[in-house]
Amino acid sequence: MTDIHIDCSINGQKRSFDAPRSALLLDVLREHGYTGAKRGCDTGACGFCTVQVDGEPVTSCVTPLAAVDGTTVETIEGLGSQDDLHPIQAAFVEHSALQCGFCIPGMIMRSKALLETNPEPTEAEVREALADNLCRCTGYKKIVEAVLDAGERMRSSPAVTDGGSEVAGERGAGGPCGRGRSCRHSPGERE
Amino acid sequence: MSTPDDPADRTDADGETTADPGGTPAADPVSSSAEKYDGRKIVTGEAKYTADYRTQFPDLAHGTIVRSEIPHGEVTDIDTSEAEAIEGVYAVLTPWSAEVPETLYSSSGQSYPEPSPWDMRVLRRHVRFVGDPIAAVAAADRETADRAARALTVEYDERAAVFDTETATDPDAPRLFEDDEVENSQTGADYSRNVESAFGGEIGDVDAAFERDDVDRLELELETPYQSHCVPEPHATIAYTDEDGRRTFITATQVPNHTRRQLAHLFDIPIRDVRVKKPRVGAGFGTKQEMVIEPITFALHLASGRPVKLELSRQEEFSAVRSRHPMSLRVRGAVTDEGEIAALDLHTRSNSGAYGTHGMTVASNVGTKAMPLYPNVPNLRFTGEVVHTNLPMGAAMRGYGAPQGHFAVETLVDEIARHVGADPLEFRRRHAVREGDLDEASAILKDGTRFVRRIRSCGVRECLERGAEAIGWESIDQPTASHLHRGVGVALCAQGSGVAGKELGAAKLFMNEDGSFSLHVGGVDTGTGNDTMFTQVAAAVLGCSPDDIVVTAADTDVAPFDYGSYASSTTYISGTAVKHAAEDAKDRLRYWGSKLLEEPESVLETGDGRVYSEQTGESVTLEEIGYEAAYGHDEREQIMGHGHHSTDESPPPFGAQFVDVTVDERTGEYEINELVFAADCGVVINPALAEGQVEGGEHMSLEYATSGTLEFTDDGVPKTVGFREYGMPRTTDHPPMETILVETHEPTGPFGAKSIGELPTNGVPPALSNAVRDAVGVRLTELPITAEAVLEALDRT
Ligand code: FES
Ligand code: FES
Repeated sequence: MTDIHIDCSINGQKRSFDAPRSALLLDVLREHGYTGAKRGCDTGACGFCTVQVDGEPVTSCVTPLAAVDGTTVETIEGLGSQDDLHPIQAAFVEHSALQCGFCIPGMIMRSKALLETNPEPTEAEVREALADNLCRCTGYKKIVEAVLDAGERMRSSPAVTDGGSEVAGERGAGGPCGRGRSCRHSPGERE
Repeated sequence: MSTPDDPADRTDADGETTADPGGTPAADPVSSSAEKYDGRKIVTGEAKYTADYRTQFPDLAHGTIVRSEIPHGEVTDIDTSEAEAIEGVYAVLTPWSAEVPETLYSSSGQSYPEPSPWDMRVLRRHVRFVGDPIAAVAAADRETADRAARALTVEYDERAAVFDTETATDPDAPRLFEDDEVENSQTGADYSRNVESAFGGEIGDVDAAFERDDVDRLELELETPYQSHCVPEPHATIAYTDEDGRRTFITATQVPNHTRRQLAHLFDIPIRDVRVKKPRVGAGFGTKQEMVIEPITFALHLASGRPVKLELSRQEEFSAVRSRHPMSLRVRGAVTDEGEIAALDLHTRSNSGAYGTHGMTVASNVGTKAMPLYPNVPNLRFTGEVVHTNLPMGAAMRGYGAPQGHFAVETLVDEIARHVGADPLEFRRRHAVREGDLDEASAILKDGTRFVRRIRSCGVRECLERGAEAIGWESIDQPTASHLHRGVGVALCAQGSGVAGKELGAAKLFMNEDGSFSLHVGGVDTGTGNDTMFTQVAAAVLGCSPDDIVVTAADTDVAPFDYGSYASSTTYISGTAVKHAAEDAKDRLRYWGSKLLEEPESVLETGDGRVYSEQTGESVTLEEIGYEAAYGHDEREQIMGHGHHSTDESPPPFGAQFVDVTVDERTGEYEINELVFAADCGVVINPALAEGQVEGGEHMSLEYATSGTLEFTDDGVPKTVGFREYGMPRTTDHPPMETILVETHEPTGPFGAKSIGELPTNGVPPALSNAVRDAVGVRLTELPITAEAVLEALDRT
């Protein structure tokens, strides 16, 4: 089998891969430790494997590795850390917009792509943008609420739209999501 | 009192440890929406599911399963030579391989011995549906494994097959099981008619009630389809032998202890030599209440001598694993001139597909979950029959027969209400279950009175009231266009909290010097938030913050026994076990508090990270106690608590599902304008997570009502093999949803809680059928409800 050579950037780091021509981005990512992208169908039909390639959301399970040569790939691992969540991640946590979590990395990457191009989406636009990302656990309600709130967070702290991050819970008392929810690291906790 | 150094305390940053001594405890951790225990690692992609452990095994082999291509027959030969010759192939297994046990077993994760028939083998010579596993391969990578799988040559001796329950029970129908191919202790089995089980129970005298002169008789026949769990994470298992020779499984399961026992029995190894570890699980919904792929993975491990990972494909999930049982139901009601229900008679015929896992137990729940909604109906009968066909097997799925039962009972009750000229809401308010009622219906299939239950908490009327207000029951505006008609429907829902008399949960808890606690618990979190709930329950007893509880769960080497996460049992059973463990530890906290404060234990309480005196207000922090107990001069103790819980109780949570619909009479198309679900799950532990259960359950219920079904060719070949063919609702398919949590107090539950996980999967089909009835006057009795069916029904009127 003929191997191909690929250079790309993943989460800001230069990476190169030699892989069979038939290699798919999801397999290569997972093999190299980027296991945040999940395998749910291998047919581009669930969205669990969503990552960004040059800012565009793609389902990595049907993206040939060859297609990312010379591109910038962003995965969930490139966003915030547990102590320093990206505002979208913080919004998902604080809205309890997650259960089993298997869809969540893909959901967040898709939301990030949306908010980068449309910082102030309507609920209908959020639902439209996430229509190819399935979730079996949540009924989507809290996810949509989290994405709308994340947009607001990103607008109100512009630094993060440049790739920075936000410490969850810096949004003042009364429950960061405005619903009085308590949260492990938020000042509104256990009030 | 001071501590020798300055240990890190997770709560310091919040200033939580400086609560005023002796003051009233801060808000009860039980009723707060504490952040989900695993939330941060989920959103950062660090949460590890089974397949993510691959990186720990450099010599990992990848498994794949070869499945029957015919619906019924005998595998006579499998030529493996070509596959074995492929470079990178480590093992090829067939039903004849030495590593593959021949033992009959049931895959159902149920108590022992499993009530489900023992009717399957790990790899099957007698194949009974397109998808039955017949061979397996382990290879260096997935691609090689798949190539080897394709290189097998399988020879079959094909037999006649049967695809519907009607034909299957015909004496001339092809027989799926010979007598020596199954061990079955269920009632009513008759394999000569492909009947896996038959059962029935009666309260009062139903026939006599139906013959009375003063009753009208109403009847509905209903059909419900297959539904796929669409479990987000396909089944995945890694099997290996560790350096101590322990047979270890990292596996996506709801039932680690059942799986451990079943593996030990199947492979004839001592239970103690098997370790089952549950990592994060991409949900279960019942399809992982089974030992599905663990035996094949283990046999591949034995044959290849390497750690083996097996991950199913989405196609296998849809067509070869487990689904919700399709059923045909008939429900009859006798209603008196005064508008009282004199009798209800429910019959179900369940299609269990090729194997009997959860066949009878699911069918039993069709009646025993919905009928208790009306405990004052004097005459009740419930009968059922479970029939094999050459289609994929049904199994446990969230709701477990209750969605089918609610579809029958709650549409019939709607018809009865309309028949007697009552508002369906008002009729339910009058007749539905109340606190204090004696519910015999949930025990209708049991002998004796052991499982007859007293209803000790019931919020049905508040659910009806608040739900009706939210949906606007009284004030539905009709659309201006004359071909559009709007209607509202309601359906009551009930479930249980664990399986009465068939549960056990256990937990142990030990204190660390810093005032935190390590909790080892058998309870299984498959994503719903049980681990979070456990921290809240423990914290509420110990008087600390949920952050001070470190959970290690569902690893059979570390955590004590638990039946697993199914039947809405985790909060009620495992949560109570955690509560007992915490109470046990709290006694020791009081002892040490008394020692340090020099006050009697009887005046001491825990709260705000302290043991404090209710008398003097003096207090000592848990951290001070932690250090003192570990390093004290005259006396030392590991402060620990043990707890377990088992019970005959299974209090039902209740709910009311409302649907607001607009129907186009020209096309039969309908649009759901809003869903409202009001739930009584007792005292709500973590409202945000409870709401999530309701919203996710409604999602599945919406699918069941409107879009989900599996299709097959006339030869039993699955046509639904991916999300593109299956109608799982997307963000854009969901109508607005409102969730109302109605609090009651269940005296037998931990802090007054009942279950919530399955309850909301029961309501949308009947409530939608009732709403369509309200809008355009026709009754839809087949799921999913399609525009064509609505139009057809309209044409008939
Ligand atoms: S795994 Fe890529 S879309 Fe499903
Ligand atoms: S949280 Fe489980 S699939 Fe979305």
